[in-house]
Amino acid sequence: MKARALLGKLWSWFWIVLGVLYFFTPLLATFDFSLRARKGMLTFLAYEHIFKDVNFWRTFGFSLQMGFYTIIVSIVLVVPTAYWIRLRLPQLRPLAEFISMLPFVVPAIVLVFGLIRVFSGPPFHLTNTFTGTNALLVAGYVVLTLPYTYRAVDTGLAAIDVRSLTEAAQSLGAGWGTILLRIVFPNLRTAILSGAFLTLATVIGEYTMASFIVGIKAFGPYMSLVGQNKTYESSSLAIISFLLTWAFMGLIQLFNRGRAEGQLAGAR
Amino acid sequence: MPFHRSPRDARQARPALPSSWKNWLGVLPFLLFTALFIVLPSVYLLVGAFRDNAGHFTLKNFADLFTPSILSAYWVTIRISLVTAVLGGLFGFMLAYAVTIGGLPRWMRSALLTFSGVASNFAGVPLAFAFIATLGRTGMVTVLLKHWLGLNLYDRGFNLYSFWGLSVTYLYFQFPLMVLIITPALEGLRREWREAALNLGASSLEYWRRVALPILLPSILGAMILLFGNAFGAYATALSLTGGFINLVTIVIGSQIKGDILYNPGLGYALAMGMVFVMAGAMGIYFLLRRRSERWLRR
Amino acid sequence: MSFLTLTNISKSFGSTDAVRDFNLEVEKGELVSFLGPSGCGKTTTLRMIAGFELPTTGVITLDGQEITHQPPHQRNVGMVFQSYALFPNLTVAQNIGFGLEVRKTPPAAIKERVEEMLALIHMEEYGGRYPYQLSGGQQQRVALARALAIRPRVLLLDEPLSALDAKIRTELRLEIRRIQQALGITAIYVTHDQEEALSLSDRIVVMNRGRIEQVGTPTQIYNYPATEFVAFFVGQLNVLPITDLDPATSSCRLGGQLITLESVAVEHPLQDTPHLAIRPEEFDLGPARQPDQNQLTGRVETLIFLGAIVRLRVEVAPGLLVSVDLFNSRELNLPRAGDEVVLHFPRHACWLM
Repeated sequence: MKARALLGKLWSWFWIVLGVLYFFTPLLATFDFSLRARKGMLTFLAYEHIFKDVNFWRTFGFSLQMGFYTIIVSIVLVVPTAYWIRLRLPQLRPLAEFISMLPFVVPAIVLVFGLIRVFSGPPFHLTNTFTGTNALLVAGYVVLTLPYTYRAVDTGLAAIDVRSLTEAAQSLGAGWGTILLRIVFPNLRTAILSGAFLTLATVIGEYTMASFIVGIKAFGPYMSLVGQNKTYESSSLAIISFLLTWAFMGLIQLFNRGRAEGQLAGAR
Repeated sequence: MPFHRSPRDARQARPALPSSWKNWLGVLPFLLFTALFIVLPSVYLLVGAFRDNAGHFTLKNFADLFTPSILSAYWVTIRISLVTAVLGGLFGFMLAYAVTIGGLPRWMRSALLTFSGVASNFAGVPLAFAFIATLGRTGMVTVLLKHWLGLNLYDRGFNLYSFWGLSVTYLYFQFPLMVLIITPALEGLRREWREAALNLGASSLEYWRRVALPILLPSILGAMILLFGNAFGAYATALSLTGGFINLVTIVIGSQIKGDILYNPGLGYALAMGMVFVMAGAMGIYFLLRRRSERWLRR
Repeated sequence: MSFLTLTNISKSFGSTDAVRDFNLEVEKGELVSFLGPSGCGKTTTLRMIAGFELPTTGVITLDGQEITHQPPHQRNVGMVFQSYALFPNLTVAQNIGFGLEVRKTPPAAIKERVEEMLALIHMEEYGGRYPYQLSGGQQQRVALARALAIRPRVLLLDEPLSALDAKIRTELRLEIRRIQQALGITAIYVTHDQEEALSLSDRIVVMNRGRIEQVGTPTQIYNYPATEFVAFFVGQLNVLPITDLDPATSSCRLGGQLITLESVAVEHPLQDTPHLAIRPEEFDLGPARQPDQNQLTGRVETLIFLGAIVRLRVEVAPGLLVSVDLFNSRELNLPRAGDEVVLHFPRHACWLM
């Protein structure tokens, strides 16, 4: 019996080692590559170039901004809706779940196609102004991250038994505004935060929508442009991007404390 | 002797809250947003797919889908999605198995889930760069293999900028996604099932064959379908890696948006609808599978 | 030669001793309960018999054969789990037939045996159902049938009724006993519910903190508890301070009142001074009528009406309370709180601790 357990463990270790190799080798290679901007020595020159590049900061800041707007719009849209459906309109639950799965059926490339066709011409003319264009991008991102945001909020609401909390608050005299602001949102902090970080991680590196709607103003297309011209800098960008993703996901793990389902979204 | 059936789901004895039209105000913004930014664009594309350049109804756009180049685009996309879904699914399953049932230390489970969360989101442009640095002509692994094993990948026909090169790249975010999806399912396998099976005389292998795998199969298949959808809709990674060299459907649509080749919006719309059709089919199957496994595992 | 023997069994997890010095001989056809609080080692011992844990020391023999290190799937012992553990992807019939299928029994024989088992548990119409369609009680009956279908040498039950409603529990427990006796199958039943253990078992093994406290028939366990733990764990017990213990007259004083004892031997010293132990149900209302009865007077402090039982707390001396259980009857004039009462009990009903 002991021998069989040992064999089982060997089998497990084999796969883990394989997984670690697969995961880390590209990172190592990229990092190594990014250090070779100068022939014959290891140097952080490529990183220097990136950090000195005005466009890096501009596009990064832009995408960060877009990310924040996306988070805010998502929360303002999703939280009251999920709350209301849970409390008053349970018959809409299947519809809401269906809607939250729609972005899987309409991939980013198709969505951006439709968005541009509909909103760049009459009657919306969104792409005529910077504000309008950015708004369109944010709308696209909200759709893209909807599945995760909705599921996180919905799970959070279920966990806190929001119905009992509402009834308790109402019996103490609270109105809807108070309930939403002082009871629902605070208790959903964890869910909202983890959703926010996933949105940020998704939006910052996103390429598909950004390239068609705003072009090289966003971080994703900027990375792509650098990649076409400067190989070492593109590697250092990849490392920077990876570290960022890592930071965000790490924070999500911190909030989710190990729940596995919390991390499925993103642009490819 | 009479045996009573105890109530299964005792619902809380609360009357439903009174419903009025005001309730719909609460969900109106969300529905409006959905209508505006999901439904409207999709319907626009759908309608446009049935229109020719003069605005009349036509089925020509869909017929044009069946030209060899378009069909091969669909076929390549489906192939790469299938390949990475199955390979990524199997690899991810083995990893998830290793850290849950496989008897490895507890901390490895959290570590694997964290890494998987990162890796499954690390896609697109930077991922392409990373793999170029790894398996490109002067990539680290390519060079190492040449020096250590005398194995010249490119001489032997491997090319990162090909179907298999792209597959290997896709796998980087596919197998972690599988890990994330399938870990809860594996942890849902109750220890008592294994013990009951052993107790009744089954060996470990028979337990897997007769009980564990059948229970897990809907989840595994469902996860693979999600992986399939994930790869099917991928755009940035493929574009950054191959510059559009491999003719995936997403890349073709991208060209249509840019208006690069023969400007034929109707065809672009039809292509997009074709994609939605495939994805909708995949999601449909996914839902059926999920319903089946949830029903079995309900207590 | 007993059927199932555990000799010097112990089990340690790291530095914790879950089971120590466990010795037991079980006869064929006996139902033996392992009774004790959570963490006493009863489930661990059961799992060692099943083969899911390996003893750190000791030997287990079954039907003359040593099975201590035999893998669980070769032992042919049937196990019923607390959580039923029915395979969710198989129907009731397939679950019951699982063990037979694994043994490559021909399909016709499997079908026959499954029908036999379904009849045994009175669920003939349920063969095609899935576990999620059954209630808790039904699932447990199927689990029982599944374990019995393979004709096990021993039936092991790990708190099988804990997850069920009280009413189902009482019905199902009688069913289990009936089936066990009808089939003449040796069974080990783990429970923390003393009512279950007392009503079902041929013998009970009372366990505490990994050790056996006492092994005996239900009557022995209840009426002649061998240790302080058993006395307290099984049933209720009054433990009352006494004064003026006089071995010459075999008497003592309880709250100043004279009590005659059968014996002044103190079996298990509880504290520095001897205490009087007596079960609440030994009391009756009214003065002592026979010479071998003791009498106590006191004031009723509280009265709890439990239906069949009336539970009194009687103050026999300032600060000295005695629990008294009386059978209810329609003509019983229930005393009220504050009333003076006279109680009597047989001399042999009490002992010194």
